Amino acid sequence: MALRVDYIFKETGNNLVRNPSLTIATVLTVAVSLSLLGAALVIQRGVDGLNTRFKDDVEFIVWIKPDAASEQIEAVDRALADSPQVRDHRFVNTEETFTEFQDFWKDSPEVLAAVAPDQLPTSFRVVPVIPDLAVVQALGAEFEGLPGVRAVDYAGEYIKRLNDFTRVASNIMLGAALASAAASALLMYNSIRTALFARRREIEVMRLVGATNWFIRIPFMLEGMIQGVVGAGVSTLAVFGLNRVIRNLLNTTDFRLFESFALDSTELFPVAMTLLAAGALIGFVGSGVAVTRYLDA
Amino acid sequence: MIKLENVTKEYPGSSVALRNASADIDKGEFVFLVGPSGSGKSTFLRLLNKQEDPDEGRIFVAGKDISKLSSWKVPMLRRNIGCVFQDFKLLPNRTVAENISFALEVIGRPRHVIKNQVPAICDLVGLGDKVDKYPEQLSGGEQQRVSIARAFVNRPLILLADEPTGNLDPQTAIGIMRLLDRINKTGTTVVMATHDRGIVDTMRRRVIELSDAVIVRDQARGVYE
Repeated sequence: MALRVDYIFKETGNNLVRNPSLTIATVLTVAVSLSLLGAALVIQRGVDGLNTRFKDDVEFIVWIKPDAASEQIEAVDRALADSPQVRDHRFVNTEETFTEFQDFWKDSPEVLAAVAPDQLPTSFRVVPVIPDLAVVQALGAEFEGLPGVRAVDYAGEYIKRLNDFTRVASNIMLGAALASAAASALLMYNSIRTALFARRREIEVMRLVGATNWFIRIPFMLEGMIQGVVGAGVSTLAVFGLNRVIRNLLNTTDFRLFESFALDSTELFPVAMTLLAAGALIGFVGSGVAVTRYLDA
Repeated sequence: MIKLENVTKEYPGSSVALRNASADIDKGEFVFLVGPSGSGKSTFLRLLNKQEDPDEGRIFVAGKDISKLSSWKVPMLRRNIGCVFQDFKLLPNRTVAENISFALEVIGRPRHVIKNQVPAICDLVGLGDKVDKYPEQLSGGEQQRVSIARAFVNRPLILLADEPTGNLDPQTAIGIMRLLDRINKTGTTVVMATHDRGIVDTMRRRVIELSDAVIVRDQARGVYE
């Protein structure tokens, strides 16, 4: 059978404009649920980026007491050098610490003015063999009790907390996205069912004169998929917009930690593709089930 | 052309619609199905284009056992069977020409075929000057002509008519019967369910009478009772 393309597009177009309020409601629901999905995907990519960025940086800092004797410092240095778990360690003297300090507080001259280099503590920067936070913490604890050591700081701890938080947030978002995706598939189902009902006389005639089920089906499934993809398009724009906002925010605050949350276009592209595919899938499933149930009834 | 072998059809929850019915209808025959409401006439017709499936027995259309027809082949069967109804089943938002071309469009007929066939069939049914009218602008008889045109435009082997004159006055009904007769003379097998005693008695065609789901009479050149 020749598939009449012009017929299919005409019917699909008619269906879409016949009930504009329902069409718009469906498109918006898809858009909202896929925006949630998109945000969840962006956050997960951000977290992944964060983890790769700090994977090699899971170091800890052994702060030395200001009044520690040089023998004590040497003892700590030896202990670090002897530990099989330490890959690398480096002594940071007061001048170097001050340089870092200047860099960190460069926007607050009053803080800088109040501090002299010799008031700052010295420290060892330690890179462990196994860059796992739990291992690093256990390792750090070994040095905490050595004489002359004031404290041990773990850079990774903050990363981990941030990590846990964003992961929970993105999982909640993903759950919400899935729930609302299910809602939009159901709305899609009802939207197409309404379209089928509006055209029940045509469908009855089509079946009587011998139109194939696929011929009846295609305009409705196309309608559902167009609604899904248009909704996905809207959500893609929303995600791009969100990404721009994050990028601008990062540019103004100079908060480098979240840099990985601003995705570049090569990272956004798969997110956009995922959203469009999800939109098409919602349309396909929602309308497919509606038409199948209608035709089999 | 049509053959029923001991066909029984029951609707769940209600009584038997057709019991052990056998009939053999040749190509080009004109057959009236008569009997009171609920005697099984509509079920008889609905079984022929596989709107219903029999519970028992076999039905042959054009030599094929349609009870064994897989569902994807049903559309092909229906393309050979035109249907006319008491309530016309026209699409109100389409003109006469559009209603008829719809039947060809949806089975994928090319545009040039539709362009040729539609005006020709409109002339045949006597609606050549009404092609751009909408169903509501037509009389009942004219609407039934459109519905017959739609059923016949694809030149089916069989035309099934379920009380086609049921909503029409006797004068208009005669016009419709003339049209069905002309279609029958082109070689199309016509099976028509009817209550209309006058029509059956005038036409003197084969009559199959149903009573309480059973074929009680099958008579060539018969009358209503």
